[in-house]
Amino acid sequence: MNDVLVGRALAKRFGQTVALGGVDLAVRAGEAVAIMGPSGSGKSTLLHCLAGIMKPDSGEVHLLGQRIDNLRERDRSALRRTRFGFVFQFGQLLPELPAEENVALPLMLGDVPRDRAVRQARDWFGPLGLHGMETRRPGELSGGQAQRVAIARALVSKPAVVFADEPTGALDQTTGQETMRLLVEATKHNGACLIVVTHDPNVAGWCDRTVEVRDGHLLVGGVRA
Amino acid sequence: MNLDLTWRLLRGGGRKGLLGTWLTLGAVAVSTALLLFAVAANFAFQARADRSAWRNPVETKGAAVAIEAARHDYVRDKEITVIDLAALGADAPAPPGMARFPAPGEVWLSPALKELAGQLPADQLAGRFPSPKGVLGEEALLYPGELVAVVGHKPDAPELTRPRSDDWIVGYSPVKVASLAGEPMDDAEAYQVLALIAGVLMVVPLLVFGGAAARLTVARRDQRLATLRLVGATPGQVVGMTVAEAVIVAFAGAITGTLAYALAAPLLAGIQIGGGGWFVSDLWPSPLVLGGLLVGVPLLVGLSAVVGLRRVVVSPLGVAKRETPPGLRFIRVVALLAVLAVVPLLSRGNAVGPIAVVIGLAFLCVNLVGPWVVGVIGRVTAGRARRPARLLAGRRLVDDPRSAWRTVSGVAMTGFVAGFLCLLSPGALSGFADAGQLQVAVPAGQTATVAEQARTRLKAAGITATVKPAKKLVAVALGTSADAATVDRARTALAGLVPGHTPTTEADDQHFGVQILADVRAGTVVVLSVSFLVAIASAGITAASSILDRRQTYGLLRLAGTPLEVLDKARRAETLIPLTVMGGGAILVGAFCAAPFMIGAVNATGVLTLVLCVGLGFAGVIAAGALSRPLLQSVTTDPAPRPD
Repeated sequence: MNDVLVGRALAKRFGQTVALGGVDLAVRAGEAVAIMGPSGSGKSTLLHCLAGIMKPDSGEVHLLGQRIDNLRERDRSALRRTRFGFVFQFGQLLPELPAEENVALPLMLGDVPRDRAVRQARDWFGPLGLHGMETRRPGELSGGQAQRVAIARALVSKPAVVFADEPTGALDQTTGQETMRLLVEATKHNGACLIVVTHDPNVAGWCDRTVEVRDGHLLVGGVRA
Repeated sequence: MNLDLTWRLLRGGGRKGLLGTWLTLGAVAVSTALLLFAVAANFAFQARADRSAWRNPVETKGAAVAIEAARHDYVRDKEITVIDLAALGADAPAPPGMARFPAPGEVWLSPALKELAGQLPADQLAGRFPSPKGVLGEEALLYPGELVAVVGHKPDAPELTRPRSDDWIVGYSPVKVASLAGEPMDDAEAYQVLALIAGVLMVVPLLVFGGAAARLTVARRDQRLATLRLVGATPGQVVGMTVAEAVIVAFAGAITGTLAYALAAPLLAGIQIGGGGWFVSDLWPSPLVLGGLLVGVPLLVGLSAVVGLRRVVVSPLGVAKRETPPGLRFIRVVALLAVLAVVPLLSRGNAVGPIAVVIGLAFLCVNLVGPWVVGVIGRVTAGRARRPARLLAGRRLVDDPRSAWRTVSGVAMTGFVAGFLCLLSPGALSGFADAGQLQVAVPAGQTATVAEQARTRLKAAGITATVKPAKKLVAVALGTSADAATVDRARTALAGLVPGHTPTTEADDQHFGVQILADVRAGTVVVLSVSFLVAIASAGITAASSILDRRQTYGLLRLAGTPLEVLDKARRAETLIPLTVMGGGAILVGAFCAAPFMIGAVNATGVLTLVLCVGLGFAGVIAAGALSRPLLQSVTTDPAPRPD
């Protein structure tokens, strides 16, 4: 009953390619869900449809009971800014901004005064093991540090859902595990739910449950749902 | 081997990569076309000077072949140049544009004068040049529509024996000449100097623009070239590939620009300077110059590309990892201050060479200081920013001040030109008191006789006028209501009254000054138009290339919910903030450089030109930036293109 995000019969095609063939997925409050599948299976398309980045050809997406897939682009943008957080494989930090301003940016976009936004952003650096990195630029951070800054940015505006697309794809095994631990802990501590797209079982292992996508369909017990 | 890889990189750049290539090609084409115009203008003035030299006789004390004199006549407020010639012997050479030396009593008219003489009633113009014998070829003319008459005389004719005014603006007294080569007129040389200054003012922004185009090639490629460095390509190989790519694209651009110039030349020939337009052949540079430009432009672009690549070659990780860029050195400001310190030492008495060098250096130094100032502005903007758009704009200015400067440099440089010309434009000449009064210079002691002859001639022509002899001249008052036709009838009736002298109105006497004023204005408009074209094209191209460079960042920002308006506002602020500061600064530096050559006080026309220039510049840059908004929209519309 306490589903935060629900996707119903989501379908999406790219030309002749069926990326999603009618997928149902519900994510409960505080839950961490891993979406697994081989390359080209449609897992990223599912994430993009759930996050309002992409409009499905058919089907519905509901956030806290409100339908969001039929919103205008402007409203979906606002929704992504205020209710969702994103962590990607790489290239998500603005190279011109120091780390603390990268984290503060979503707050500033939501009209929080700069001083307060930067103060709030700094609060995330200690818990994520980034103390002393506040004024460094992304080019001066290691891959793991940059991902932790991205996690801080995803969480700073207290989103309802955090979407992560291959968040450890560019990291080594140890750093990847540490990053996943921080991502899951911080998200849960913040009261948000987490949806992670990955093809790595070790990453999926950090989540409460795993759903598998194959040829645009969810598999339950190895067969199409 | 490298060339093959370069060609494949160039072709395999994808749709957006090709767009960048087209932008570079377009920028080089515009640069080449305008560069050809700037260079050709100088050659065109040279050609005019050469063609008109024979009308400026050089007196000989030795064996002479002819006697030559010149004066100006007027019809409908247009100037007619009348050359009086007499052969001294049988071997007088044919003057330029004529098949033979004119026999006594013969008149040769330029095509335009012949046509006008046919159009107007004979008592207004044709009566002054009875029995026209031939038509002058264009070798004898300054410009296609020029009004010229060559009149043959006997050596002892009064036109060629009596002295005329010493003022070369009015004409030349008869002199014996050893040949009809003559020498360039003073005003022709003055025009050449002005053309040279205009050339410098136009060429420098063009070189800056060409450099920006070259760096656009590098900006598109630096990530790829840095990767090549990381996998072991030597600096030499990276430089070689970059130069090859830049030169290939620039050569194609130079050819396109030359074709565009060839198409535009007939239109440019219509620009009125010195009383008329141009022969199209004047505006076409010699094959040597053209060849030099077609080789030089791609080489310069290649050189700019090498300079832009320095960061990749020195530190491949610098581009791949986006470290904090090194700050720009204050020495740039010192260089500008050093050049400006020399400016007050200049004056109108200086030779043209040093003046052109100092102005050119000041111009280049403004360009050197630009990125440094942009960096400072960026730090101040980022420090004081409260909204995300300003913060982004400020940080980007600090991150890459050179790129931001490239966007605004064109208008800032135009500001320099406008500031310079604002002080140089002379004030308008005062209005003319009485357009209906003619006067003709008369040798001492003959005024009463000439006045009587004038009355007789005017009466015979049916013209009512009051003729009054004065000291050394006879004044003919036609009344304030006299129209242009009446004045021309009077001029025709009085033609030859005093051999070698022409009856003129006050307006005719001021014709040269008015002409110079009109030419300075036309020149200003041409230079400013070229500068604007460069500035706006430059702003458009840099805005587009900046979007292409940052497409990943923009895409991810949109994906995370940043409204397009915020990105657009940041882009606008990124341009407008430095534009405001640098545009103003460049105008002041330009005005400072022009101060030693100021003619009269700052005038309303100059200030109006400046205000228009600033307004148009801002509007142009904003419009050019707005044109790339659809590109921004397209690179951010689909942030998740993967079907996975």
